[in-house]
Amino acid sequence: MKHYVLGEFERDEALLGAARALSGRPGLTVDLHSPYPLHGSDEALGLKRSTVPLVALVAGVAGACSGYLLQWYVNGVDWPLNVGGRPAHAAPAFIPVTFELGVLFASFTIFIGLLGWYFGFPRVHHPVFEVEAFRSASIDALWLSAEVDGDAEPVASELRKLGARQVTIVPEVRS
Amino acid sequence: MSTAEKTIVEAHALEGPPVLVGRPGDRELTESLFQPVLGPTRKGWLLLLAALLGGVGFWTLSLVTTFAVGIGAWGNNIPVAWAFDITNFVWWIGIGHAGTLISAILLLFQQKWRTSINRFAEAMTLFAVAMAGLYPVLHLGRPWFAWWLFPYPSTNGIWPNFKSALPWDVFAISTYASVSFLFWYLGLIPDLATLRDAAKNRTQRIVYGILSFGWRGSARHWQHYRIGYLLLAGLSTPLVVSVHTIVSFDFAISQLPGWHTTIFPPYFVAGAIFSGFAMVLSLLIPARRAFGYHQVVTERHLENMAKVLLVTGMMVSYGYVMEHFMAWYSGSEYEFFAFWNRWVPDAKHDTGHYAWIWYMQVFCNVVTPQIFWFRWARRNEVVLFIASILINVGMWAERFMIIAVSLSRDFLPSSWGNYSPTWVDWGLFLGSICTFGMLFMLFLRFLPAIPLFEVKELRRELDHAGHGGQAAHGEAHR
Repeated sequence: MKHYVLGEFERDEALLGAARALSGRPGLTVDLHSPYPLHGSDEALGLKRSTVPLVALVAGVAGACSGYLLQWYVNGVDWPLNVGGRPAHAAPAFIPVTFELGVLFASFTIFIGLLGWYFGFPRVHHPVFEVEAFRSASIDALWLSAEVDGDAEPVASELRKLGARQVTIVPEVRS
Repeated sequence: MSTAEKTIVEAHALEGPPVLVGRPGDRELTESLFQPVLGPTRKGWLLLLAALLGGVGFWTLSLVTTFAVGIGAWGNNIPVAWAFDITNFVWWIGIGHAGTLISAILLLFQQKWRTSINRFAEAMTLFAVAMAGLYPVLHLGRPWFAWWLFPYPSTNGIWPNFKSALPWDVFAISTYASVSFLFWYLGLIPDLATLRDAAKNRTQRIVYGILSFGWRGSARHWQHYRIGYLLLAGLSTPLVVSVHTIVSFDFAISQLPGWHTTIFPPYFVAGAIFSGFAMVLSLLIPARRAFGYHQVVTERHLENMAKVLLVTGMMVSYGYVMEHFMAWYSGSEYEFFAFWNRWVPDAKHDTGHYAWIWYMQVFCNVVTPQIFWFRWARRNEVVLFIASILINVGMWAERFMIIAVSLSRDFLPSSWGNYSPTWVDWGLFLGSICTFGMLFMLFLRFLPAIPLFEVKELRRELDHAGHGGQAAHGEAHR
């Protein structure tokens, strides 16, 4: 059965130190929770570079291409209109919509991708929310959470040693 | 005072007032900034909301009339086929652009003073775009067929013509509205989670809990969040320029004297930012007073916005000068006449019926911002508020001059005709201001108007940097 060990820290140096000490161990997933992005949390947790820019680029290019293809098909192939003898397939006139669709696709991909894929949202119930004091994580406190496979007690006592103010163990309840 | 101290004080004087007054704690910030949302409903708020609802009623009546009677209920007719409707459209969409400028472009330039006003400005963008989008749809004549604008495989076998500027508009405005919403909402999520956690009752916890999707401030999420947010800012920046460029194409690619000019895209974008910053000030100054945001919206913010007004005002003035220069330099008597018609009331030649609007426009847009050469004016709430209202009026007048007045005098004197609005035109215009105001009031009451997590981050940054103009102002350090 999985357990979550939660520890509250007062200072960010202590929190990042604890994260460095615990992260990378087998059977243990460490995460930090703070009201604002913490400087240095990425290295402390050993996180890899985010892939969001790459995903956004692919989506943007796909959007721009589909925008151009759409205009080429509807105005150039399926329903060519002769307006004052201008060419039916008119590349310069197709630039605005091509650009707009590129931006539109990239933006929606970033938003939906972040929430649905990278964050796993919507997830309004999470074991960390079982601790009432965890409410301070979005207001003024810094928390460390460790997802433990197996015995959680050693991790909890280690967290205390690393300077956590209060430590709680939450069992993950699967419904 | 030692030389070193003197240097510090002088440096602070040069830097201007702080972007954050004092060093409040995170909990203190949460409580004071969320007071408007979590505190009790205030009487003043209710009264103002009720007053605005009256205007919303007038607006609804005008809308219903337009739907029932058709656009014959408006004053528009040939030759002035575009009048209040398109003027309102361009005016509102321009106002929206300042929100994106503050939230996206200033973010990319790492301007710290943007932090406490960006949410405010983004909300203004959303509501302004919502108002703007309405007019072209109403102007279709049969607005219930608005979906014909989009390319879909219809049984008629016909498609939009993408060589016209109007389908560009459809894509530009709908993309702009969607992206602005996503950007605004992404920024709101951490603050909605804070609202959920600071909420005083169960209903608030549930509603804000659902709206925040279960945000738990995870470092693993913050990593992607920051990059995603920055990317959206990066995408919004060229988007905002493209949108107003495309709006200006509606006019510039036609051949009507007064419209047909290459200066329109940059001139329209500058005008959009000019009017939008004015609107931000018109909203921010009363809200700052009412909700006591003085700690996070300081004189520094007001002063910087006044400087932006001065700069963009000069750009717009340059646009006016160049329009006239090109009309003269083109050697086209029609172009020349279009501008003559704006300046000179002359009954014999039937010109200048709207000259008073032109003079008002020059006073509001060219003369008014010049007061911001003076520091006392940039820091004075009353001066700023009055100037911002004048600029809003002036920018509306500018769009009216360009659109309706150019149309009223085209090539052939036999096709000339003047325009006067009906009560429905006034209802759709003034009513939209009330509707916008109502949406804004609801936003102030139910959503965090100041981006709390960014203010907390800013406080930390200022602490680490060890300055921010605090020492010179004698405020307590924490």
